[in-house]
Amino acid sequence: MTNWAILSGIEGNLAAYEAVLADIKRQRQPIEELYILGDAIAAIPESTNVIQRIRSPRPDEPVPQVCQGWWEEQLLILHGLGRTGEPTELIERYGIEMVKTLWDAIPREMVEWVRSLDFGLFELDCLLIHGSSVDVGDELTPDTPAIQMLDRLMRMDANMLFCGRSGLTFQYEIQQGSVTSSITTLDQVTTPQAILVKPRQVIGVGNIGRIPGQATYTLYNPYTNHIEFRTVRYGSGKGFQPLKDKLFPPLNNRLMT
Amino acid sequence: MKIAVMSCIHGNYEALNAVLSDIDDQNADKVYCLGDLVGYGPHPNAVVEMIRALDIPTCQGCWDEDIVEGLNSCECSYPSVLAEKRGKVAHDWTNQVIHPEVREYLAQLPLSLRDDNLCFVHGSPHNQHEYLMPEVDAFVAMERVLATGADILFCGHTHVPYVRSLDVGQLQIRVKLTGKSEPQNTSFSAPLKRIVNAGSVGEPRHGRPNATYVIYDNDTDQITLREVEYDYQKTCAAIIENGLPPVFAWRLSKGLEYAERADDPTHVCER
Amino acid sequence: MPSLNITLVSGPPGAGKTTWIRQQISSAAETAVYLNLGSGNTPNDFRRACAIDPTYLAAEVAGLTVLPVEQLTDFLAHPLAGSAVYVELGFHIDLTSLILPDQMADCQRVAVLPPGTRHTEWHGWADLVVTGVETGAVLSQPHLWRSVLSGQVLDLASLNTFWYELTHGAYGTVQRAKGIFDVADGRSLHFDFVTGLAEATYLELNLPRWLNGRPDRFSGIEVVGEALEQEAIAQTIKECCLNDQAIAYYQQQIKDSLDPGDEVA
Repeated sequence: MTNWAILSGIEGNLAAYEAVLADIKRQRQPIEELYILGDAIAAIPESTNVIQRIRSPRPDEPVPQVCQGWWEEQLLILHGLGRTGEPTELIERYGIEMVKTLWDAIPREMVEWVRSLDFGLFELDCLLIHGSSVDVGDELTPDTPAIQMLDRLMRMDANMLFCGRSGLTFQYEIQQGSVTSSITTLDQVTTPQAILVKPRQVIGVGNIGRIPGQATYTLYNPYTNHIEFRTVRYGSGKGFQPLKDKLFPPLNNRLMT
Repeated sequence: MKIAVMSCIHGNYEALNAVLSDIDDQNADKVYCLGDLVGYGPHPNAVVEMIRALDIPTCQGCWDEDIVEGLNSCECSYPSVLAEKRGKVAHDWTNQVIHPEVREYLAQLPLSLRDDNLCFVHGSPHNQHEYLMPEVDAFVAMERVLATGADILFCGHTHVPYVRSLDVGQLQIRVKLTGKSEPQNTSFSAPLKRIVNAGSVGEPRHGRPNATYVIYDNDTDQITLREVEYDYQKTCAAIIENGLPPVFAWRLSKGLEYAERADDPTHVCER
Repeated sequence: MPSLNITLVSGPPGAGKTTWIRQQISSAAETAVYLNLGSGNTPNDFRRACAIDPTYLAAEVAGLTVLPVEQLTDFLAHPLAGSAVYVELGFHIDLTSLILPDQMADCQRVAVLPPGTRHTEWHGWADLVVTGVETGAVLSQPHLWRSVLSGQVLDLASLNTFWYELTHGAYGTVQRAKGIFDVADGRSLHFDFVTGLAEATYLELNLPRWLNGRPDRFSGIEVVGEALEQEAIAQTIKECCLNDQAIAYYQQQIKDSLDPGDEVA
């Protein structure tokens, strides 16, 4: 019996990550696998501490398996190691000053580690990824059209897609579906065929570090297919309204309302 | 109104002429072109000049982009090292002979065109390089049409023409948010959507050397796949005369693509 | 001197000489020795000689000894008692001027010929005519082209394209083509084509995967046909080959994915 903890978006918030590690240890069913779906860092120097913590799990903690997130990709772009040359998306979103802020926040020796991370992880029939099979910035939400969700799942032929881009926790089940397809070529006409969809799911795993005092993540049992969303309150934020961080506006405003 | 749609001319002037004559004979009112005007074939400038002279609305293909941007495709867009080496030979040759104004014209081509409920792209709405093969999963195919908001998606790139009808599409979903709320059940349905692949004028791959294109009649809602004979030997001779690899001529005469296709047709390079 | 059970096998390209020998060896209980005359001067030096048939038989037939030509004299002086010896003659070897060692004088001569073949020099020469397979039209000017590829590693997708083109007339009229190729995943593949026969896919030779640099074993190609564009063939094969960096990359990938028990070289 294996239980997984899946989280995303620590965003340099070590206190939040510690709180979640403590919550993982408190689970009655021991957690054997820990997946971190990107955005372990943000453009703050504290990210360094998070990287160090991720890389040095204690003996009683699962060894984290980490993939790249949006922030990691921006960092690699700045260092000329990304898939595109220009940090256009970073500047559009946060302004030109953010280029220097991010550059200064993460020391060079950490960049190699970031570079070594996979874009996504595939375990059993599950795709674990920050955005989606299309792009690290692809934001899947409870409102994403069903056909688009299905496309993201089918691109990697995954039955379960765990993602963290939206920061939301949600369980999006495609229960059934059908379409009638027929094809005419120069040489033949096929009679219409009904194509059925097999059930598949997209899981939003939550966000650890964005809201001070409150972290959300996901527990999953791949054998029973059971999903549990966890909310962990910790530190000074406990009992207070979430604080708006001026430097880092939330990527999704719904979170703050 | 009859709308003719053609694609993938690949510098084959003989084939383009034959298809344009056939379009005249069919009394088409409008013509669209889905790109890949150049690459592989011996007459890239003449083909582009003809398309411009006739003012045919055209979207940009992957070869047109590569000639403008410099060879940008990564090795994964080639199915084999042999195909890659041949592709590079064709690219370098085209790059050398192409006129500056032709390059400028290719650079400003749009990635997609719209006409009422019709959408025109080279590969797929998401990417010029994506192959929408007839065997692509029906739901993936439906997503490509729905992503455009159109009812009929015209594409090329695979060099084999087909019409695919996707009807009575429906999906049942259940969405559950954190803890509190009850799960929401929603259903989605889509009326008839179609993907029409225009085949290839200049580099057919359906096993015969004839050029292919399609005609859509929006009064009758009929789609016709056209196959047009032309003097492919002339193009073959020009390929050899111009110092392009002779095997291109052989493949053209057999109705084989010059370079074979990737194993995973939906694979799109992330680079 | 012990009497030797020697069979000489001759016939046109693609008629089925090697296949017939393989069948004889497989159905016999005794051990067998195989020798190929006409596949090059020194078949044990696979860098220079084209040794497709010996390599194929050695990999596929258990207990078969493949004898290099220059060891023939030694072998005849000290033969293995009770073993059957098969000597395959290349189609281009002139039977009338063939001079055999004395010990081979009373051997059996077998010609493997396509169905319906009449009145050829093989009929006069052979003790036994075996009906092989149809090889299509007889070429008036058959030409043999061969190339040793030992040490080269090919990309399989490229090789498949090349083989399709070669056997469908892109480089001249090909009547017979065979080859052994090392491919990126470490396997050694045997390709075989005869005009008119159903298209067969390649056979994976029973050899360990080669995953440490350039393979130190035989690979090569042999083509029989008319108006062969040799330069284009050679150039295309060259374009199917991987460079050192790519070879190392694929070999590492395969090593990482193999089970510890898998046999590698």
